[in-house]
Amino acid sequence: MTEIAGKLFTWINTRLPIVNTFERHLSKHPVPSKVNFWYLFGALAAVTLIIQIVTGIWLIMPYSNTEEQAFSSIEYIMRDVDYGWIIRYMHTTGASLFFAVVYLHMFRGLLYGSYQKPKELVWIFGCTIYLAMMAEGFLGYVLPYGQMSYWGAQVIISLFGAIPYIGESLELWVRGDYYISGITVSRFFALHVVALPLVLIALVFLHLVALHEVGAGNPEGVDIEEHLDEDGVPLDSVPFFPYKVLNALVAIGVFMTVFSIIMFFFPEGGGYFIEMANFQEANPLVTPDHIAPVWYYAPFYTMLRAIPDPLGGLIVMASAVAIFFIVPWLDRSKVASIRYKGIYSKIAITMFGVSFLTLGYLGTVGVTEVRKTMSVICTIIYFAYFLLMPIYTKYEITKEVPERL
Amino acid sequence: MQEKDKTRRKVLIGLTSAVGLSGLPFAATPFIAAWNPSAKAKAAGAAVKLDVSKMQYGQQIQVSWRKQPVFIVRHTEESIASLDLALPKLADPNSDQIEEPYRGLNPSRSKSPEYSVFSGVCTHLGCAPKYFPEIEPKPWDATWNGGFFCPCHGSMFDIVGRVFKGVPAPTNLIVPPHMFDGSILTIGEDKEL
Amino acid sequence: MISLPRYFQSITKSIALFILLVSFNKLFAAEGGPCKDYGECDKFQYSLNDIESLQRGASTYINYCYGCHSLKYSRWGRVAKDLQIPEDIFFENLVFDKSIKPGDLMIGAMPEDSANWFGVEPPDLTLVSRYKGDDWIYSYLRAYYEDSSKQYGVNNLVYPGTAMPNVLISLQGNQRLVCKDVPVLARNGGEKRDDFGNTIFKEKCGFLEVQDGTGILSREEFDTLIYDLTNFLVYVGEPSKATRERIGWYVVFYFLIFTALSSLLYREYHKDYNK
Repeated sequence: MTEIAGKLFTWINTRLPIVNTFERHLSKHPVPSKVNFWYLFGALAAVTLIIQIVTGIWLIMPYSNTEEQAFSSIEYIMRDVDYGWIIRYMHTTGASLFFAVVYLHMFRGLLYGSYQKPKELVWIFGCTIYLAMMAEGFLGYVLPYGQMSYWGAQVIISLFGAIPYIGESLELWVRGDYYISGITVSRFFALHVVALPLVLIALVFLHLVALHEVGAGNPEGVDIEEHLDEDGVPLDSVPFFPYKVLNALVAIGVFMTVFSIIMFFFPEGGGYFIEMANFQEANPLVTPDHIAPVWYYAPFYTMLRAIPDPLGGLIVMASAVAIFFIVPWLDRSKVASIRYKGIYSKIAITMFGVSFLTLGYLGTVGVTEVRKTMSVICTIIYFAYFLLMPIYTKYEITKEVPERL
Repeated sequence: MQEKDKTRRKVLIGLTSAVGLSGLPFAATPFIAAWNPSAKAKAAGAAVKLDVSKMQYGQQIQVSWRKQPVFIVRHTEESIASLDLALPKLADPNSDQIEEPYRGLNPSRSKSPEYSVFSGVCTHLGCAPKYFPEIEPKPWDATWNGGFFCPCHGSMFDIVGRVFKGVPAPTNLIVPPHMFDGSILTIGEDKEL
Repeated sequence: MISLPRYFQSITKSIALFILLVSFNKLFAAEGGPCKDYGECDKFQYSLNDIESLQRGASTYINYCYGCHSLKYSRWGRVAKDLQIPEDIFFENLVFDKSIKPGDLMIGAMPEDSANWFGVEPPDLTLVSRYKGDDWIYSYLRAYYEDSSKQYGVNNLVYPGTAMPNVLISLQGNQRLVCKDVPVLARNGGEKRDDFGNTIFKEKCGFLEVQDGTGILSREEFDTLIYDLTNFLVYVGEPSKATRERIGWYVVFYFLIFTALSSLLYREYHKDYNK
């Protein structure tokens, strides 16, 4: 029996590079021997993506994408389907935590220069994943067809209207109706469950292929390829299995603990993960008192509100995301890691972090005069971090990077 | 590596995998359970009630329970008495081959001596057999004594839904759980069962 | 790999950031709570394991509210089961329409044209505890007061201009807005006194007071009634909530054990390359 299995395996393996791929990309793949917890969020993002795909497939089954039934089908899932509430809360919690780990993953990139040569493509694929996620999250949020789904979508789709000349017809074309109706919901549904997941999976694949080509980074910014042993394996590396796997396992354990605490005890996340107004069915005639985006869009929403002109707001908001793509060419530093960069970089990234969080906070609350001024200031800091990067990274005094990890 | 360390690793690997694997069935539970009939499906498939006192003797009606036809036949005393005439033709007169909820209770196979209640789905390939109560020679049986004939593949059943020998249908028509409260028949629920 | 000091550093940083954000919140806070003019809502703490409270709440709801407000996502039989009321007793005492089956949705007992009665159609309340909040319901139902300028002679502090009459007035009694002499508070939180040591009083308005002898229930009894009713609405808003919180402990506990074991295992292997 085992002999036949062995033969079959050899037969397949000579035609399909199973063992090679497995060894090259998983078991023997060398990873830097010294990294810190910042380097675990990529694995967590992968875990969350899997959770989202599996729970998503299960949610498609009882969900109904019509105007009359979209909202009630969510309650059907929450009440009538056995354990439907677990599956739905996994999906809503997963959505928020997906963004949380991806934001931390991206911040890691900024901290340790994970975009520097030759990792530009890894970074760009990553930014594209983030862009696709934003679209995916938005489309998904419309599906329950609650008040916040409706009015959130109303605000976002109105942004298209700000584009000169074609704006209004574009808006109508996106909705396919004169308001956000069942027609809009069902096309968003198709995009959310088929089109964008395919794009996301393809992008994640490319992100990983590119990463494995150039090798993972480390918080020191040391190039471990410089010092190889006689087999050509970097001296400062460990094989992916078991070391990195075990490390990831610990991270997954911690992550899933946090995940379950939120999912079982605070599934609405205090109104930040599932907004209270979204428990009311969409009503095109009644606007809720206070329209706030879900927390993960909040920083960009604040920028949009900070600019009085809709088109200007749209451009600023789009640039805020787009600017991530060119970071590899904005950073002129000789060193990658913040540990060896100069004082300007350290001040810049701290101010950027604070302003990003403040922008996020401001996006979830109502507008006052003080807050408006704050959001303008934070928007300026946000862009200054990127636009001044070529200057402060070039002229600051950096520390010497060690040879080895 | 020291011997002590090796055992420690082995124990830890065992424990971690045991804990990890033991979580899998629990993680799978919601996904498996979500495929059970939902509360909505159960409500739609709840028991049906009807008053059978208005039925005429010898009449057969069809009601829908869980979107499946259920046949109800009201028998005359004569037709019940003549049930034994068909005995030699029957493949399984006592329903030994199937789960029969009310075996031996009444010749009608139901909880009432007067009414028969059984599923209108042929046990061969799921067609609906037709009711031919007349006692007269039929193209499919020269000594037809009244019963059900399936037009799809020619399966025959007597008036209480028992299958004939030598026809494609393998078993008798299924009797669903039911109960009588006076003349009110409830199909799909039996408090005594 | 994870050097502790640095780990702590980042934790300290995150805490500092969090405090910063919270203080921003304090600094810029201007919005009223969900209770608007009423100020802070009265706090409500649900107890979904208090089955008797839920049963009383269900009974109050069906007797006083269900005539106008459906619970259209909820099923009769599920409520009976979750509230541990035997189905025959439940259907005998709480379900007035005898054609209703356990699996039916609680779609209400209102005729189609009901909107005309109150100017607005009475909303379905299945999810009211989720979009208004339990604090809001608990405060709202206790904040009706006499106001002859309104159609039904009552107004509400939590929801001014509410279209709903005070259905529970016979139980609560006639509540009125009154002014009272209250002690003026000093900066330190104590009562302010004049030079002779007497407490200084000042008239303040906006207090709710029930006219003596107008209601069947005492203030405490009425508060309990509303507590049970709100508790029931919290249950109906999310029937799996109690189960969710119960299962949650096991799941969290499981992952803590898993984390502990895997980190021990990780440390063990960590020795290989980091002596």
